[in-house]
Amino acid sequence: MRKFSMVLMCLLLSASVLAACSGGSKTAGGDNQGSGSDGSGSGGTTATTDAGKSEDDITQKKITIKIHYPLPDQKDLRAQEDDKIKRFTEKYPNVTIVKDDWQYSVNEIGIKMASNEAPTFYNTFATEAQMLVERGWVADISDLYNKWEYKDEMNPLLQNQFMVDGKVYGVTQNGYITSTMINKALLDAKQVPVPPLDWTWDDMYNTAKGAADVKKGISGIAPMGKGNEAGWNWTNFLFEAGGEIQKVENGKYTAAFNSDAGVKALDFYKKLRWEANAIPKDWALGWSDALNAFQQGRTAMVIAGAYDVIDAALNQGGLKPENVLAYPMPAAEKGGKHYGILGGNYLVINPNATKDEQEMAFRYITFDYFTDKGLEALEGNIQERKSNNKYFVPAPLNYFKDDSEYGKKVAAIYDKYDNVYKYDPNLFGLLDGKPEAQYGTQDYYGAMSNVVQELFSKKDTDSKKQLDDAAKLVQTKFFDEIKPQQ
Amino acid sequence: MGEPATAMLKPEAKSEPAGRRTSRWKKHLWGYLFILPAIVIFILFLWVPIIKGAVYSFFTIDFVKGNTFVGFDNYARVLHDPDVWTAVKNTLYYMFLTVIIGFWVPIVASIAISELRFFQGFARIAAYLPFVVPGVVLYGMWRWMYDPVGPINGLLSSFGVEPVSFISDGRWSMISIVFMETWQQFGSAMLIYLAGVLSIPRDWYEAAEIDGAGVWNRIRYITIPSIRNLIVLMFILQIIGTSQAYQSQLALLDGGPNNTTLTYALLIVKYAFNQLDYGSATALGMLMFIVLSLLGLLQFKMNKEDY
Repeated sequence: MRKFSMVLMCLLLSASVLAACSGGSKTAGGDNQGSGSDGSGSGGTTATTDAGKSEDDITQKKITIKIHYPLPDQKDLRAQEDDKIKRFTEKYPNVTIVKDDWQYSVNEIGIKMASNEAPTFYNTFATEAQMLVERGWVADISDLYNKWEYKDEMNPLLQNQFMVDGKVYGVTQNGYITSTMINKALLDAKQVPVPPLDWTWDDMYNTAKGAADVKKGISGIAPMGKGNEAGWNWTNFLFEAGGEIQKVENGKYTAAFNSDAGVKALDFYKKLRWEANAIPKDWALGWSDALNAFQQGRTAMVIAGAYDVIDAALNQGGLKPENVLAYPMPAAEKGGKHYGILGGNYLVINPNATKDEQEMAFRYITFDYFTDKGLEALEGNIQERKSNNKYFVPAPLNYFKDDSEYGKKVAAIYDKYDNVYKYDPNLFGLLDGKPEAQYGTQDYYGAMSNVVQELFSKKDTDSKKQLDDAAKLVQTKFFDEIKPQQ
Repeated sequence: MGEPATAMLKPEAKSEPAGRRTSRWKKHLWGYLFILPAIVIFILFLWVPIIKGAVYSFFTIDFVKGNTFVGFDNYARVLHDPDVWTAVKNTLYYMFLTVIIGFWVPIVASIAISELRFFQGFARIAAYLPFVVPGVVLYGMWRWMYDPVGPINGLLSSFGVEPVSFISDGRWSMISIVFMETWQQFGSAMLIYLAGVLSIPRDWYEAAEIDGAGVWNRIRYITIPSIRNLIVLMFILQIIGTSQAYQSQLALLDGGPNNTTLTYALLIVKYAFNQLDYGSATALGMLMFIVLSLLGLLQFKMNKEDY
């Protein structure tokens, strides 16, 4: 009897292992029309309760959507999201919301899509748009977007980042133009004057050189030197020098970053490294390493999206708002453009979800957009942070236009609180956002990372040769393989 | 329970009658049922991925639009990629460094600890403790140790040596990783060696001591010959393990600077998760699988000889 029980348990265990490993039947593979879903789609389930009456009325259908949900330590954001879920399900009582706190990662999205485990909608970044569209990992939501009443009020600068070949693939939440953040306290400590806001590469060079204190391990500037971020950081300088990543002629993509502008931008990096000795001695810093260095007071300048740097510096690093200055990227020369790469946060919808799930996800994403409830949630967030002695750092760019009625209401809320970080009002007039290349951007960044690393490690590199070699590699390995979306 | 003894003494018939086969099946049925979960788990999590990997290496993988058969294109692509050869060289260099810098450390530590008369337990725990340090803490801690104004450079500067960029300088980066890993991992191997050393009969040592053998001679003529097979086995296991290394290289330097810490396994990870080219990644994985299988066979053969 005992033996029999053990065997029974073994069989049950085997069965449960098999059950756990069996994937749900996919709605992918082209058939994501949503009709006749058996409820096993990745994004959620759809079932028509009363086929005769409510076939076309999505509000009458039983739909489950798996939503993008904040991480456990983001308690205030979770509380906001819970409130939104409550209000949403009051309006759509047939909808069931499943929370999923998976946060987008380029290393994980492929696995999520393969296993049909990605939420019905998920967060992502502007840098990922082309890759996600190329892979087919985001749904084309053009129909939903074009029918939406607020589509014309969206900030076009940000929204256009997720529009590829005229199709809409995501909804923007907020964004930024890559900027330079300055730790004023470190400049003061070395009596380095604060540069003008309309600054140039020369100003950046002098500021970095003056603020660097090698003996104390403080660098003047920390250009990222590890991972694809190294290429991303450098590309801002490429743009400022008037260069481009790629050019398109007759549908063929050609590497263009090995231009004179590219050489000029790379030579500027060389000057910072070898002439000014202004970058960290241990320069292999990724995005988070560089941000940490800034908030720890180990570098006077860092290049990234303003929100991320400032929020970490104020709320984790304990820096004072008056010592954290947001600057545009410097112009190559006086009167030049302050180009910075456009970036932002987006919500995109899972193409494996059924049409009904996609529509309900779209309704959920845009539920608070341009509404008073959205304003209430924002104010609640600021108050919550104030009660915790934390600062609220507004995104430099929002999904709405700053000069719109809604934008003015938001600005009025910001003005009410002293824990809201205030950007220099002249900053926004100087920011020149430039979108990334349309295809193969991450591959290009990866190749440029090696170029930057070689330049930082060897003193007398030949910039032109380095760029030509990288361009040849990127061209043959990646750009020649590009098949633009039809 | 079981067959009668007379039945077991009978010579095997060339073709068993059906009744006999059923009876033998019944005899082993319980055993098969007991190992069923293990078999299921092995098939699902070991053999299915291996076979799927082999199949995927001949396809362009697209989880949404569907896979496309490309024959040997993935293999051709990776074999023409100069990064692959850089990664192979780096991996061999890393394996060499781990042998030179790290392989002898646990052997020496185990012998030294076995010779201790007091505090042997404390020494064992102290040596093993780094092994339980989580990866994130380890990398943060050693990043600080290697910092240009960190303790190691502080020590060097007290002797008038210029600060060394242990992480960013391509000449030092792989060596720095190996030192860090040796510090963390020698305790685990040390315990295995220690078990081997402590299993050597004490009377051999006592006899040697009576014959006038000192510590060095005891180690040379008793300890090392006694654990020789264990050393060879651990060496093969280390070769297999280090050939697949990528964690530290990824976490500390992402393969940089300028690809000097790009190992073969890290390149597979980059193909799969940076370039999202799972087909080429699995092709690289299959090439590695062939090489490691040969090493695995060698280890298996040695195990067989040992037991």
